[in-house]
Amino acid sequence: MMIQQQGKKVGLPLMNLVRLNRTPILKQLHLEEKLLRKSSTNWCIINDGTDTPAIVMGISGKPSELLEIGSVLRDQVPVIKRFTGGGTVVVDKGTVFVTLICNKDDVPGVQPYPRSIMSWSGLLYNQVFKGIADFQLRENDYVFGNRKFGGNAQSITKNRWIHHTSFLWDYAEGNMAFLKQPARAPEYRMERGHTEFICRMNEYLPRTDFIEKTTEAVETYFSVKNVNLEATEEPCGAEFVPSTRLLSKQELEEALGPQPEIIGVSV
Amino acid sequence: MMISRRIWQKRPPTSSWIFLRPYTSQIAVPSPSPSLFPVQTPSLIGFLSSYAASSFRSVYKISSLEMPSMVSRCCYSNHALADLPASGIVDVPLAQTGEGIAECELLKWFVKEGDEIEEFQPLCAVQSDKATIEITSRYKGKVAQLLHAPGNIVKVGETLLKLVVGDSAVPTSSSDVLESVKPPGSENSPDSKLNKDTVGGVLATPAVRNLAKLYGINLNDVDGTGKDRRVLKEDVLKYAVQKGAADGPSAASVSADCREQLLGEEETYPQTFAEVKWYPDDKTVPLRGFQRTMVKTMSMAAKIPHFHYVEEINCDALVKLKASFQNNNSDPNIKHTFLPSLIKSLSMAMSKYPFMNSCFNEESLEVILKGSHNIGIAMATQHGLAVPNIKNVQSLSILEITKELSRLQQLAKDNELNPADNSGGTITLSNIGAIGGKFGAPLLNLPEVAIIAMGRIEKVPRLSDDGNVYPSSIMTVNIGADHRVLDGATVAKFCNEWKQLIENPELLLLQMR
Repeated sequence: MMIQQQGKKVGLPLMNLVRLNRTPILKQLHLEEKLLRKSSTNWCIINDGTDTPAIVMGISGKPSELLEIGSVLRDQVPVIKRFTGGGTVVVDKGTVFVTLICNKDDVPGVQPYPRSIMSWSGLLYNQVFKGIADFQLRENDYVFGNRKFGGNAQSITKNRWIHHTSFLWDYAEGNMAFLKQPARAPEYRMERGHTEFICRMNEYLPRTDFIEKTTEAVETYFSVKNVNLEATEEPCGAEFVPSTRLLSKQELEEALGPQPEIIGVSV
Repeated sequence: MMISRRIWQKRPPTSSWIFLRPYTSQIAVPSPSPSLFPVQTPSLIGFLSSYAASSFRSVYKISSLEMPSMVSRCCYSNHALADLPASGIVDVPLAQTGEGIAECELLKWFVKEGDEIEEFQPLCAVQSDKATIEITSRYKGKVAQLLHAPGNIVKVGETLLKLVVGDSAVPTSSSDVLESVKPPGSENSPDSKLNKDTVGGVLATPAVRNLAKLYGINLNDVDGTGKDRRVLKEDVLKYAVQKGAADGPSAASVSADCREQLLGEEETYPQTFAEVKWYPDDKTVPLRGFQRTMVKTMSMAAKIPHFHYVEEINCDALVKLKASFQNNNSDPNIKHTFLPSLIKSLSMAMSKYPFMNSCFNEESLEVILKGSHNIGIAMATQHGLAVPNIKNVQSLSILEITKELSRLQQLAKDNELNPADNSGGTITLSNIGAIGGKFGAPLLNLPEVAIIAMGRIEKVPRLSDDGNVYPSSIMTVNIGADHRVLDGATVAKFCNEWKQLIENPELLLLQMR
């Protein structure tokens, strides 16, 4: 079942690296889910921004609890429910996405459960930000000091796992208004609003530097091979139906709930 | 932790000392092969590993970044096979999926009851905080029972499902298993009783279990007539009837004579059946908030002498007006409806008939003609009936009324109306037609003297002067009025004025300042 491949660096498992630019986040998530479930290779996907703003919720996210639906509907912002757990993010061209899809046996010392995976990824990103900022993995978030700049989520299957992160390179203040204060929040958030809780990566290092350093950090664990998008088609073959989906307008309106019937003359 | 690697066992953690020595070489790194886990510890270790590591970390103040190699070496046990209970039915719990995680949401099942499954086959997917995790089976066997439905929150340690493992699928040849599903009528020996208490291996669906619980029946006492001695609904009902007729508490002691007596006596049989018939329980709902207020206000309103005046209003022009507003609307925040136009024209009509916008002082026998037109709009919310009012409609444009209405609507929906929004109203509009009905006979919203219930705008056929039939949008209104203050003529004339403004909205321009 598991194929141990010889890479450029002896002993390190192979990882295919796909670099994307402004790929729609829905397309990216469909790709990730397909690679997780259908491929047996390790993958790293870096998408430098998404084309248009979108809201991405975790697999069991409830729009009524997480979103200001009225504003979302008014501004016609797409709402996506992804296949991994975790919280809600607003993504746009200022978001840098880094995804790692690994065979569990190719990452020695990392057990296929959330804490272990995040501890490992925390080490990886510690290399990226060493000497640049006060980086740490705090509870489940990537932070500089006590401000979150990256949120992550996982999905763990029988033999593989995915750990994907959205990094806030930059964001529009107005976009945060689409999100409600979540009922479940990490303790270190201390009830701060969105703008007080998060920060921008662009205040710490250039965008290209971040991507290059991340690639270098991944290379300490894997033998990295740059591939293009076509390579993602090869291993998977048969048609795959992803569970990540775009919520319909009707679903959002239903989640908004009935407006008080101003007892309104039917309009 | 992956459930495939562990069964929840209440054993003392004999090897927990390992975790107090973080860098000992005695902890081996798990090999790539999933079946080789060198830590020879009981299965509880998986939980203690992450928990102990967490405690250790906090005591020694080691950051999570320095600990991961330690955490990652906290291991699983593959000793589940050795712990297999004699009956062959295994309770598969939700094992620890990470530090501090006390529960997970069950997302979906990949198997169903009765499925044969292989070792390491995915059973279900759960979500804990950040991760979705596939749970795989540690055993080869058969799914006996799924104990949770997708969407359920399952606590760590709680049984997810029951598996019949290996060849011991409720075999009739095993004496141990037979005793756990011993049919009624068998000897109630101490040994069999002990087995009933200790082995819970009865096959039955959750619905049947609930039914048995409702009747206070122990499923182990019921003779299952389904496949693999599964207890069916009929088995429980039959047992319940038998139990209800028998003197003794145990169905096992019901004799053939008792059964005949039960079935032979027409009078007692229906009665027994009625005793086990399920009646829904009454539910007491204390009234709070808007509902509580409504009790008080409506009780008082009922004491006022009302009369009601009914009229039909042609809304063809109103329909065109609304369409025009919508077509020329450039603000996505605004949604145009009929109501603001109706409200504004109501205010215009009240300017001519100020007694409609008044309140009555019983003690002094005075009518106070209110200067402001604070028009209340009845709103049916999930919290009850709310009647916030739009202040000073006489000074507002239709657009301003639209915005204010939207604001109040949102507050009402969120149950955040403040007292100022709810008080000071001078007349009330109740557009019950949005929900249904031709018109209503509304009760006054005291201390106001008039209330207007509007029915649905319906397209109905009308006859023209030359006898042709044409469609027309008609709304029926019912004005409830305090007959101590208002008489029929005043209300009728007011209504005529209002009707004229609705049917000819261009007349509003005449009075526009």
